[in-house]
Amino acid sequence: MSLEMTPGLRSTYKQRYEPNDDGLRFQDLVFEGNFVGQEPLRDGILGDKVQKQRAKSKVLEKVSKEDVLVDQFTLDELNDLNNYLAWNIWDVLVMRATEGVSGMIPRQEYEILAFMHQFYRWPEVLRMTTDEVGAQGILDIGASARREIGTKVNAVHDWSIGAVGFGMGRCGLLALEAIGPNDYIEESNELLKFMQRIEYGKRQDGYILNSQDRYRCQIHEPDFLAGIINQLETLEPGSPKHDSFTRFNAAAELLAFLDHMDCRLGLGDTGPYELDNGNILILRDLFVNEPIFHWSDVCDDAGLPHAYTIAIEIDPEILGLQEIRVNDISTTFTRPKNYIPAIVGGAVFAREQWDTPMKDVRSIAIDDLGGELPKIQDATLKMYGKVSRMCRRDLIWAGQYVYYVDMILPYLRKAGTYEKACDEYQLWEVDQRVSNYYYDISKRGFAQEVVPQKIFSGQGYLPFGEGADLRRSKYRWL
Amino acid sequence: MQVVAEGFNAFETQKSPKGEVKFLGSPKDVIEVVRSGKLQDYILLVRGGTTTFLTPALSMGASGVITMSGAPESHLGILSREFQIPCVMTAYLTSSESRYAVGNTDDAHFEEIADTLVGKTVQLHCDDAEVGRVSIVS
Repeated sequence: MSLEMTPGLRSTYKQRYEPNDDGLRFQDLVFEGNFVGQEPLRDGILGDKVQKQRAKSKVLEKVSKEDVLVDQFTLDELNDLNNYLAWNIWDVLVMRATEGVSGMIPRQEYEILAFMHQFYRWPEVLRMTTDEVGAQGILDIGASARREIGTKVNAVHDWSIGAVGFGMGRCGLLALEAIGPNDYIEESNELLKFMQRIEYGKRQDGYILNSQDRYRCQIHEPDFLAGIINQLETLEPGSPKHDSFTRFNAAAELLAFLDHMDCRLGLGDTGPYELDNGNILILRDLFVNEPIFHWSDVCDDAGLPHAYTIAIEIDPEILGLQEIRVNDISTTFTRPKNYIPAIVGGAVFAREQWDTPMKDVRSIAIDDLGGELPKIQDATLKMYGKVSRMCRRDLIWAGQYVYYVDMILPYLRKAGTYEKACDEYQLWEVDQRVSNYYYDISKRGFAQEVVPQKIFSGQGYLPFGEGADLRRSKYRWL
Repeated sequence: MQVVAEGFNAFETQKSPKGEVKFLGSPKDVIEVVRSGKLQDYILLVRGGTTTFLTPALSMGASGVITMSGAPESHLGILSREFQIPCVMTAYLTSSESRYAVGNTDDAHFEEIADTLVGKTVQLHCDDAEVGRVSIVS
């Protein structure tokens, strides 16, 4: 059996979980952000450690439920979260900054519009949702992820509330000079508090982000997880069954990306969970049919469920695993990079609708995936044809809706406030300010150069000023 | 082995596909090459490093990909590993000083690479953990 990786390399990944270990470097670049004049930060475990050391508050340490239930962050806490998220965004996204243009979907353009829309519009909707279910109710929504698969209450959505809506949204508006550093502090608190409550409810270990826990997202209750582990089938690397499983995973993942306009909201990993035999398990949700998007009609026609969940068992010794990161955008990266040949077990599940009860989630035998794959390919080809016919403006606004609506959709659904947000808060309307920005984002390379540069360098995440009023919104347009 | 281009290697593999370099500049090009029935005869050259542009080609079994931007952490990098399709990313010509830089790369950079590679039969070498190479076969 050719494993196509360094022969004889022994697994050392558990060393990454020792307190004194600083982790590997996944990239050579460094991050300065708001730490001007100080030693630049590095990626990974080391970057997280230094961030915690530089924080003025305890908000990056393990927090308590009582902390989370408090409605108001202090100014130091807000700034510590701002600085941390700026680094975290760089940590998970900077390598993507080399991607260039898609050739089909104007992603930079729709992203920046969505960031700004989120910052303006989400606070009101999230406040309404908190008012409806209470602070404990928000924790409970986060906790629901502990006993579900195929749920969008997951790392990438949870992270997006703060990192995207607050962090990148505020950064974009600052870059556009539409707001100043001390504007919208009250709204910023609303966004970050909602994120903290969801994340705390989900993780229940005091941390809110995977990067704070050495890139682990081990959220499932043991008895729930056991029900999944029991269904793992053995896969011999290089066998037809192994090929069928990995090909299904890839094809479903690709459709999930496409259904979400070329973004990772269609994908959600948790783990790594250590199994009794020493192997590790990754659970991957692939949302191949999101019914709120009109272009998902081809997924309905193909008979696809809302989500497939792929359970992936990896032998760390075959891989010679040095480090594994399940990062805060729900994506697993390993060193060595290619873990596919080290997959030794798997299982597949399908959840028909977002609210299908867990007892009704069906498992699909790996031998039966041959019947499932054509449905995915059919929907993929039809969706590609459909998207390739959309004009640039339609593509930008479609992508904008994916970010702006989908990133908070799971919480509104669980809270029962989605319809209210649509009917009373006009969730699907585009705010006039953001609508006008559409014409600004193509000027002077704003979407493709200025904003990405400020977002990825960390320079654009200006702190709230010393002594700023926590109640402050925006009081003047000058 | 005459290496004409190098870039980030999306994943290490002993697979070393050969084929004529085909530049795909639009979704229409992608659809045409998939419908041609000759998808696996080509090494696909694309400008961007994102996944969705190449969706049908990846799903229907492309044999090798060269990109002129993007990195192994990109969507396309992830999917090339999942599909086990060798992929050299942010490729540059070894005979040229021109390199891709985010937000600071003019069209001449991409055109030079395309002019050099398109129509040539090349082989991808992706057995190194970090660097992927492109050699001329004919």
